[in-house]
Amino acid sequence: MVDFGPDSPPSEGSHRVISSEVQPRSDADGAVSRPVTRRNFIVWYLAGLLTATVLAIVAPILVFIFPPEGQTKRQNLTIPLDQPLSGMENGTATQFKAPREAGFVMVDGGGDNAPGKIAFAAYAVKDLAGSVTVFAVNCSHLGCSVAFNADAKRFDCPCHGSQFSIAGKVVHGPALFPLSHLEWKEGPGPNQIQVTGLQLPGIG
Amino acid sequence: MAIVPHPRQIQTAVVNWLDERFPFTKAVDEALYQRVPNYANAFYYCFGGMVFILVAFQLLTGIFLAFYYVPDAAGNPAAAYTSVKTVIMTQVYLGWLIRGVHFWSANLLIVMIVLHMARVFWTGSYRAPRELNWMVGVTMLLIILAFSLTGYLLPWDTKAYWATSVTIKIMGGAPILGPLLETVAQGGPTLGPNTLQRFFAIHVFILPALITLLMYVHFRLIRAQGISEPL
Repeated sequence: MVDFGPDSPPSEGSHRVISSEVQPRSDADGAVSRPVTRRNFIVWYLAGLLTATVLAIVAPILVFIFPPEGQTKRQNLTIPLDQPLSGMENGTATQFKAPREAGFVMVDGGGDNAPGKIAFAAYAVKDLAGSVTVFAVNCSHLGCSVAFNADAKRFDCPCHGSQFSIAGKVVHGPALFPLSHLEWKEGPGPNQIQVTGLQLPGIG
Repeated sequence: MAIVPHPRQIQTAVVNWLDERFPFTKAVDEALYQRVPNYANAFYYCFGGMVFILVAFQLLTGIFLAFYYVPDAAGNPAAAYTSVKTVIMTQVYLGWLIRGVHFWSANLLIVMIVLHMARVFWTGSYRAPRELNWMVGVTMLLIILAFSLTGYLLPWDTKAYWATSVTIKIMGGAPILGPLLETVAQGGPTLGPNTLQRFFAIHVFILPALITLLMYVHFRLIRAQGISEPL
């Protein structure tokens, strides 16, 4: 603090003089506006600088803890089938599993399933008209693996008794949403199928 | 005849040497020699101290466990599982005891915290001017629960895996932020090695630092405000 000598007023008094020059003004609608003084400009400037500094440190940390995109890159997984798709009879399904350290990515789904969620097994289904669909194995209720019931031509969930038609629609609850589809195409070999999935190092 | 100093003389010399450089004796006296009011002699005023002792046990046994634990969930059986179930439990000398103390202290800790909170609530010790210390305490309760959650996954057995799977699913059910939280907690699209890795980091690096800091604040506030009077 600058010493103005014995005649100078105490600093608190001089502060009061300054503040009395800049009384807050009331607008017509009652909002109080304070005139910009050098002091409160600098205070706001420094506060802004401090906030920006904190954000500049915190923001990269938040991004850092979010898992990187490279680990979730979609790719085609080639899986061998028990029988060629062309050889399947209408109204049948064949189960296949994801390779080690990889999983399939659900295209749609509700309940426990959701787009982007991982399934570790799937059914290739040929419906009565002869067109092929691939479903994730997980029940939309709580994620158990559904079993194909060849006699009734539907999927039964062993956990809570949900039933799905061969088209994946709910026949019997408690599941509320149809089975999730997987994106697929025919594989390079006759007994193969390609399904969209991703690598999951260390899993399985 | 050689002059052998009396042990007391050595002690005085060492303490004097230290005290000339920093007032250790004064600091220790101030920290230790505090009069405890008679009403605070009741057994239920001990619960907080027991929590402190159990946390100290946790830090100590946790450090020992970290000598052998491997936070690697890849493969089957995973190194994380083997390091707990085989190495620590059967091969390391007294490893089973260290893990046992860590496990049982963790369980007792929750019990003692509940009792301590009940005592503080019962005696109204959360009221002015001690509200801040109540808030610090509740924050520490949440940290202990985070310890429990992250620690439960580390043995990487079936129970650990599915219990954490359920917890993360509950987390994912939160409105709006749920899926984001789920991805961040899992460290990816599924519960896997990435999850174990970050739960381990949280369990052994972040939470111990936080709880130590907050316990210090908790005790300084008690010293500043004194033990609250009974009803």
